[in-house]
Amino acid sequence: MKSLTAARTAGDGQDLVTTLGGHAVPLRARSAVMLVLISIAGLAMFCWPLLTHHDASGSAHVTDAPIIFAVTLPLLVFVILAEFADGGMDSKALAMLGVLSAVDAALRPTGGGTGGIETVFFLLILAGRVFGPGFGFVLGCTSLFASALITAGVGPWLPFQMLCSAWIGMGAGLLPRRVRGTREIVMLIGYGIVSAYLFGALMNLYSWPFLAGADISGHANLAYSSAYSLLENLHRFGVYTLVTSTGGWDTGRAITNAVAIAVLGRPVLVVLRRAARRASYDLVRSAD
Amino acid sequence: MRRLPAPVHPVAWWLWAIGLAVAASFTTDPLLLLLLIGVACFVVVLRRGDAPWARSLRVYLLLGAFIVVVRVAFRCFLGASGSGTVLLDLPRIPLPDWAAGVSLLGPIHLSDVLDGLYDGLRLAAMIICIGAANSLANPKRLLKVVPIALYDIGTVVVVAVSVFPQIADSIGRVRRAQRLRPDSGGRKWHVVRRMIVPVLADALDRSLLLAAAMDSRGYGRRGPTPVRTRRILGVLTVAGLIAVCIGVFGVLDDRAPAAFRWPAFVLGVALAAVGLAFSARERTVTRYRVDPFGVTACAVAASGLAAGGLMILAGQYAPAHLNPSTTPATWPVVDLLPLMAAVIGLLAAVVSPPSAIQGLDEEVPA
Repeated sequence: MKSLTAARTAGDGQDLVTTLGGHAVPLRARSAVMLVLISIAGLAMFCWPLLTHHDASGSAHVTDAPIIFAVTLPLLVFVILAEFADGGMDSKALAMLGVLSAVDAALRPTGGGTGGIETVFFLLILAGRVFGPGFGFVLGCTSLFASALITAGVGPWLPFQMLCSAWIGMGAGLLPRRVRGTREIVMLIGYGIVSAYLFGALMNLYSWPFLAGADISGHANLAYSSAYSLLENLHRFGVYTLVTSTGGWDTGRAITNAVAIAVLGRPVLVVLRRAARRASYDLVRSAD
Repeated sequence: MRRLPAPVHPVAWWLWAIGLAVAASFTTDPLLLLLLIGVACFVVVLRRGDAPWARSLRVYLLLGAFIVVVRVAFRCFLGASGSGTVLLDLPRIPLPDWAAGVSLLGPIHLSDVLDGLYDGLRLAAMIICIGAANSLANPKRLLKVVPIALYDIGTVVVVAVSVFPQIADSIGRVRRAQRLRPDSGGRKWHVVRRMIVPVLADALDRSLLLAAAMDSRGYGRRGPTPVRTRRILGVLTVAGLIAVCIGVFGVLDDRAPAAFRWPAFVLGVALAAVGLAFSARERTVTRYRVDPFGVTACAVAASGLAAGGLMILAGQYAPAHLNPSTTPATWPVVDLLPLMAAVIGLLAAVVSPPSAIQGLDEEVPA
């Protein structure tokens, strides 16, 4: 029986979940539209120090914006999560999400974030790859949320981290499906490295105004200033992120991702695909 | 037999903490901020249980210290520009052109250190207040009050928080099984692989069992939502999100037309919230053992909100000493109203009962 399934899967080089197009969390047209809109708004909330443009008189809003965004972003994340849940998440997807979130939350303290050794993302990338973009998105949110509740980590930064890791999980699900075997592992390692640097840059962009402050009086500093153009602020941010984190934290995270996927990628993918087959997230399979 | 005191509603602890954080956000007086941090820590130490999340305060304190240090370091070593007393006269090192005109070091003034310290301390106090809520509020009980549209996602997080302790159990089982086998003496990463894969497989198997159990108890059965309602709500939500997108960019830019700024943003957020609130109106979910939001909870929440309210009042009527001057540096002075705002949060420790576990410890001396 087992060999039969193996032969069938090996025969067309794809597992049943992909062949039948069944995703654990289906991504409908409406969900996709909402996802794109929320991603645009969310990205703007990350990048506000770059986008902001005020005259000297309007500087009062500059201090308001981050607080209002920190309140609004959770609502936007809730809207898209509710949409996914409404779009047909069955109890198996739900239990799988819960258990994988717990495993991710348990992995997180092992790295502890010291020197950028962040062990959350590799499982997120692998699960997003196996279960599809919708599942990856929701898992990115729930695993960060659960681990923040269990170990310390609830704070104004949490919605931003959730959205960032949701994008990472979704991106892993959107990678080309046909690539298999060693090439798949290589592709995932590449994705892990790219996403580690992107995550670092986005979270830096989020914390930049808080840690470096705003450049009000216009002297040489690494802070943003609403009087500058997009390019000037981007230049300052580039220097800031290069100086503060690209060398240490981001590279550490990229190496962790790459090593973890290289060593554990294949066995974990097998385990996840086996679970996906057993849960068979589609009507055709569960009917027979 | 004495009845165990009912735990305080988790939302009450969050309201209390948000009140304290609001109070902290309205002042840069280091004495008031340290007082607020002290109040938060005091209440946590007195009233926390011994669940995993209850031990998280230390992490938040370390994070707060890190923020203060980074903030001061940024002010002092990256183009310090204060005035007044010079503490340390370092040479200024201009960086090449690509570094956006940044210069390193330079003379460090007292006002640089104090500005960084006050700013950092304010941010740290807000974060430690949030951390206090994190240690005091039971997340599982908190997730019971999520709105009905987020019921599924709330359930996912409840599953995650409940399964988490079982993973340690699972690791122990895998290790026992491995000890029974002959030692293969493999390389080090073999150990990691032999540990993570069985634990993951075990967890996934458990999730399927859990799903079967949920199905057999009728989880997720729901009446059909009328197609028309769904369509209207979908259009509302999407329209709201488009308005939010326009509003975000408008808010950030002075040059945008007035209607595309705050009005668009607020309207969009409101539409999205309405869509969220009504999207699951047809679902009926029974809640098991609902926590009452009783008198104790109200008192806890009120003490925190009073802290925030009094500090806002102080900002209106006695703002003189809320933001101590750094050029010239003066010794911070605390007025009566802000002082009351800072310490009123202590009432939460008075009105709330000690955690049930601690109560048991007292009755059964070891």
